[in-house]
Amino acid sequence: MLDSGEAQLTLIDEAKRKVLGTQPTGKEPHHLMITPDGNSLIVADSVSNDLIFVDPHSGKVQKRVEDIEDPYQLGFSPDHKWFVTAGLRLDRVDIYRYDGHDLTLAKRVPLAKTPSHMTFSSDASTVFVTLQDSGELAAIDLATQTVKWKMPVGNTPAGLWMTPGDRDLLVGMTGEDDVAVVDWHKQQVVKRIQTGKGAHNFRNLDDGKHVAVTNRVASTISILDYTTLQKVGDIDGLLPGPDDMELSADRKTLWVMFRFARHVGVIDLTSRKLIDTIEVGRSPHGLYFADRAPVYAPNPD
Amino acid sequence: MITEIVAQLDNAVSTLQTLLYVDVVQPIFFKVGLMGYDEDTYDALYWVIIGALEILLTFAVLRPLEALRPIETWQDRKAVRADVIYTWIAKLGIINLAFFFLLQPVFNHWQSLIAIYDIPNIDIDSVWPGVTDQPVVSFLIYLVILDFAGYWYHRWQHRFGVWWELHAVHHSQQQMSLWADDRNHFLDDIIQAAFFAAISLFIGVQPSQFVVLVAVGNVLQSIQHVNAHLPVVPYLDRLLVSPTFHRRHHAIGYGHEGTRYGCNFGVLFPWWDVLFKTAAWNRATEPTGIRDQLPAPEGLGRNYGHGVLAQQWHAFGRIARRLRRSTSSA
Repeated sequence: MLDSGEAQLTLIDEAKRKVLGTQPTGKEPHHLMITPDGNSLIVADSVSNDLIFVDPHSGKVQKRVEDIEDPYQLGFSPDHKWFVTAGLRLDRVDIYRYDGHDLTLAKRVPLAKTPSHMTFSSDASTVFVTLQDSGELAAIDLATQTVKWKMPVGNTPAGLWMTPGDRDLLVGMTGEDDVAVVDWHKQQVVKRIQTGKGAHNFRNLDDGKHVAVTNRVASTISILDYTTLQKVGDIDGLLPGPDDMELSADRKTLWVMFRFARHVGVIDLTSRKLIDTIEVGRSPHGLYFADRAPVYAPNPD
Repeated sequence: MITEIVAQLDNAVSTLQTLLYVDVVQPIFFKVGLMGYDEDTYDALYWVIIGALEILLTFAVLRPLEALRPIETWQDRKAVRADVIYTWIAKLGIINLAFFFLLQPVFNHWQSLIAIYDIPNIDIDSVWPGVTDQPVVSFLIYLVILDFAGYWYHRWQHRFGVWWELHAVHHSQQQMSLWADDRNHFLDDIIQAAFFAAISLFIGVQPSQFVVLVAVGNVLQSIQHVNAHLPVVPYLDRLLVSPTFHRRHHAIGYGHEGTRYGCNFGVLFPWWDVLFKTAAWNRATEPTGIRDQLPAPEGLGRNYGHGVLAQQWHAFGRIARRLRRSTSSA
């Protein structure tokens, strides 16, 4: 997992729930992602403007790719031909061609204000990006690297999650207390699911029905049924600032980063209770399990 | 051991930061629709707490010394009131906030251009792997580099007329005290923040180390301005700028005379003054301030303002007059 405020990668023994060690990264690493071949975990250093490829099991550095500007958020398209970074600080989305080994810049797309999270359409034709400060959702055509459309969605949109069959986009509204359901084909907000204050980011629970969303202000996690688009429960009693989540391979525990509490939390999904916390560094953000429950495509890992 | 102490202090501040943020600041930001600043505000709160602790610490330690062992005895402390306000404004990060909103986008753009056009920068951490990436080593290197830059920044404040008129806000103090360090023109504060941010960007200062660098610098500079005889530690004044050394810089007719000459420009280390032949070790206590503040016949009786707003405004008046003079003499 990444301590974005301390520029380090922390390795945790998942079974023992103990920190094994840390190693330095570049400045402000926020998110991390597995490469399509599963051989490398990419750590995106947003202030150092580079990517570090590490071994997904040991965390050992494999290589460093420089001149990737402000890679706050990152994602591979479902066909693995495109690699996209959202430059939150620089108001830009950069699109790279990926040949399975190297990244080649295709285009830098100016996109104000503060592009933060992304997801893709299943046919890999489109990347969707939330624009946090302008309260919009944008769609970029990957083949031409041009903005197809932008639409208002509300105050401070953050996490994005595509429902199976590319039916709807779920948008975590961090400035509100809901998840906006967007019919992206019609560019319309069709529903708002009340969750908790500061709805932020998603993780599917790999049971064919549910997706979890963190509520950054309420310090809770809401469980949504994405087949009915209803909230079915909340997990409370958490530490402040729940953010990114990860699901264990056995689907029994949901791990969550407490951004404002320097801890990672372990939630038992049967009882829906926080059962353990692990102290880590400042501003913990992205996390990844070497052995994990799958993330539904076309949503990036 | 030092690392452990810093870690414990850091933990204590972080706990307070989280409590304040979650229970006070974040609910307000959510209510007024400013959640886009959620993380930045949380990070900034750390600085606010550090600033408040600095003020409390320096006050608790230095104020009794000022009362017991004053260098100068004053009729009253009215002139210090404005300096107290400046200190709270600066230490609570209000200037940094202005910097963030005004100049951060410019810096982001520059950073973007640096990468696009392959403008080289130095990452001190990676110069000598195994040595310069040790936190203590890189911290000391950053401290020396930034202090060297600070020496020249200070010299330029005295060298260039318009800049001097801004810096004169600081020098117009005739009662130096533990509160004196932060009496500066706000415009100068922002220029200074940009200057040091640019250098920090160039040499790759880590955010966590930047916090400690600034905190150490602030405490030492508060000590330099104190109105108290401090215990003499042999050779310490050759290592760090002492109150005596810095008081000489503020002395009318000895330490500076507007843009004409000056001595003891060092911010934390006096070595730069020795190296560039601007050091003066005379320990005699002289009146501080600016010559034209003095009543005639020594000066012109110029008013530099008593309150914060007056001091800020008068600086613009002086700049305008200086520019008019230079235009008419051209």
